[in-house]
Amino acid sequence: MHIPDGFLDAKTAVITSALATAGLGVALAGVRRTLPPRRIPLIGLAAAFVFAAQMLNFPVAGGTSGHLVGAVLAAVLLGPGAAVLVMSAVLILQCLMFADGGVTALGANVFDMALVAPAVGYGVYRLLRRLVGEGLRGRLFATAFAAWCSTVAAAISCAGLLALSGTVPLRVALPAMGGIHMLIGLGEALITTLVVAAVARARPELLLERTGPRLRPRYGELAAQGLLVALGLALFVAPFASSWPDGLEQVAATLGFEHRAAATPALAAPLSGYVIPRVGSAALSTVIAGVAGTLVAFGLAWLLASLLTTPRSRGARPGGKGEAPRAPRAA
Amino acid sequence: MNALEVRHLGYHYPDGTTALRDVTFAVAEGERVGLIGPNGAGKSTLLLHLNGLLPEHPAAVPTIHVFGTAVAEPQLAAIRARVGLLFQDPDDQIFCPTVWEDVAFGPLQLGLHGAGLATRVERALEQVGLGGFDERLPHHLSRGEKRRVCLAGLLACEARLLALDEPTSDLDPRGRRELKGLLEALPVAQVIATHDLELVVELCPRVIVLDRGGVVAQGPTAELLADEQLMLAHGLERPHILRHRHPH
Amino acid sequence: MHRALLEPYQHRRSAIHRLPAGLKAGGALAFVLVIALLPRASWTAYGAGAGVLLLLAGLSRIRPRALALRLLLVEPFALGVALLSLLQQDGLRIFAATLTKSTLCLFCMVLLSSTTRFSALLRLLWRIRVPSLLVTTLALMHRYLFVLADETACMVRARRSRTFTQDRASAWRSSASVIAQLFVRSSERAERIYAAMCARGWKT
Repeated sequence: MHIPDGFLDAKTAVITSALATAGLGVALAGVRRTLPPRRIPLIGLAAAFVFAAQMLNFPVAGGTSGHLVGAVLAAVLLGPGAAVLVMSAVLILQCLMFADGGVTALGANVFDMALVAPAVGYGVYRLLRRLVGEGLRGRLFATAFAAWCSTVAAAISCAGLLALSGTVPLRVALPAMGGIHMLIGLGEALITTLVVAAVARARPELLLERTGPRLRPRYGELAAQGLLVALGLALFVAPFASSWPDGLEQVAATLGFEHRAAATPALAAPLSGYVIPRVGSAALSTVIAGVAGTLVAFGLAWLLASLLTTPRSRGARPGGKGEAPRAPRAA
Repeated sequence: MNALEVRHLGYHYPDGTTALRDVTFAVAEGERVGLIGPNGAGKSTLLLHLNGLLPEHPAAVPTIHVFGTAVAEPQLAAIRARVGLLFQDPDDQIFCPTVWEDVAFGPLQLGLHGAGLATRVERALEQVGLGGFDERLPHHLSRGEKRRVCLAGLLACEARLLALDEPTSDLDPRGRRELKGLLEALPVAQVIATHDLELVVELCPRVIVLDRGGVVAQGPTAELLADEQLMLAHGLERPHILRHRHPH
Repeated sequence: MHRALLEPYQHRRSAIHRLPAGLKAGGALAFVLVIALLPRASWTAYGAGAGVLLLLAGLSRIRPRALALRLLLVEPFALGVALLSLLQQDGLRIFAATLTKSTLCLFCMVLLSSTTRFSALLRLLWRIRVPSLLVTTLALMHRYLFVLADETACMVRARRSRTFTQDRASAWRSSASVIAQLFVRSSERAERIYAAMCARGWKT
């Protein structure tokens, strides 16, 4: 999802850089205020951890493989402000050291993957935790669905940015990016949940939520971040709302283009086809497909959480579990 | 004045288990003392006390004095400059991007900068035989070189008491020999916690045996380490080097 | 990712390597900005840009194969996104222009990271007053990237040596638990690093 250089126009690059700087600034201020000094090294280590975790391959099918992104994992393990900082650091290092993601697109990439992804993910996570309670099953369910939502939200934001730059039309970018990432999001959700479950089994105290007086200022930061995210998303929804019918008319007017446009997303759609036939408007069908996909992901998240928390009597597979050994070297 | 005085030091882990009890010993200025004992005896925990990293909540009456100064809050910064702690894993201790920056970290905290800082770092690197390693990245160094960078970081603070935690573990024979030579040449007091009993025999005239958080014996190295019963009772062994010296 | 790929910097004795990091980073930034923000299909400008980069690459004395390899590693991402731009009016031209632009910028960044140490870039970030918490995070991240990558490789190897099934479910589960273990170890190491920082008089 890393946007390279050359894909964004000047206005998008400037807007996203400003949003990313503001968001990162809010997160930095929040972390500096609330983080005890002894956890400062942990932020750096967590960034290295996310980077290293992204290098592990998960086999998908036919020789292809996917990997973790880690925004929700970082948010669940470290809190939202730290997650923004960690993900930004990962993206900056990837950009400067490995040319992974463009320099002019750094703001956009930070916005997508270090702001939208953790903010949406953590928002969904907190909301679900409040709804389904504090147990492990609730935590895993919230983690799974939050990871899925954050992946899709980041993809939608990315599609919006590409469309805003006039590089890719929204009617192509949105279903293609959204559709692909509704699938990729399932992988992200599965990995994130498996990791959180393994950490919960090995070292539950690392997952203890820090509550108390510190929670209050966090809500302010969360609100500020939410505002930034909303502002950014609104920028992409605006052209979406106005240009969609034009896009359709254009399709009708020109080369019978809809066959190609529909063919691409269908490749990757989580449902039998992303564009549901017999519904008149393409926009409406996209919305319906999106809602249906979300419901499926919601159900799968619940199923996964239940599977992972039902006591397993049969076949505790050796080597398959996270029996992370404690290694207190300073004992 | 003694470099280090520990009197009736006790410590419990946060979960309540006893880590150290009634530990009392002293180290003279410029003296090298070996600290031996089985795994879990409390050696590392003891070393962490020497510059105030432990206990988390300072005791009412200070139990440790370094060059006459109590290891307690108002003087803690000065103490930490004077007591150099060498950690077991050099990857924990070298946390800066380059060798130069890592060695400069301590002096920087002491307020040094500019030419003063540069000469300090240069000198410390020369002292451990790593002149010209300034721009090297830590992960390109051998284990022996990493240890020496850690040591240079302590020397750059002009530490006068070194507390070394397993300095020779996972070094190859050459790395070990070089480190031994370095420690031998340093004119500062040293407490060496180690399982490397040959090293203790070679470097330390005096030894402290620690087990289950308490001092079980202290005295001349040759005498204590030759005591087969004492050694076996505390998970240790009589080093070969002594067998050859004192054949029965 | 291969261990060698984690280290883009390649030491050579060249004029390019000796240039101050600030100049190189500033130049690269300017180059990328100009190329990326040029209107589409400024083909002469692209040609000139390519010429400059090839000249610099030649002066840097880095083997062309090494540069090409790094470029090839990141190119597929650009190609993937660019393919989407085909699906519109005038798609082919937009596609060609976007891909050319991004390839030039990628080449420029590959050249920068091959000739400039990351530690020098970090010092530059300090100097231009990027918030210290962010620079500290980047510095620690860069330092422990290699340590964690080695730890991961060890864990994967250890797991593989006692895993006899090849099914996908267990592969996922085992990779996930490697990640979990890596997090546990990272947080333990962070504690020890904090102790080491305090031991050398770190003031917060």
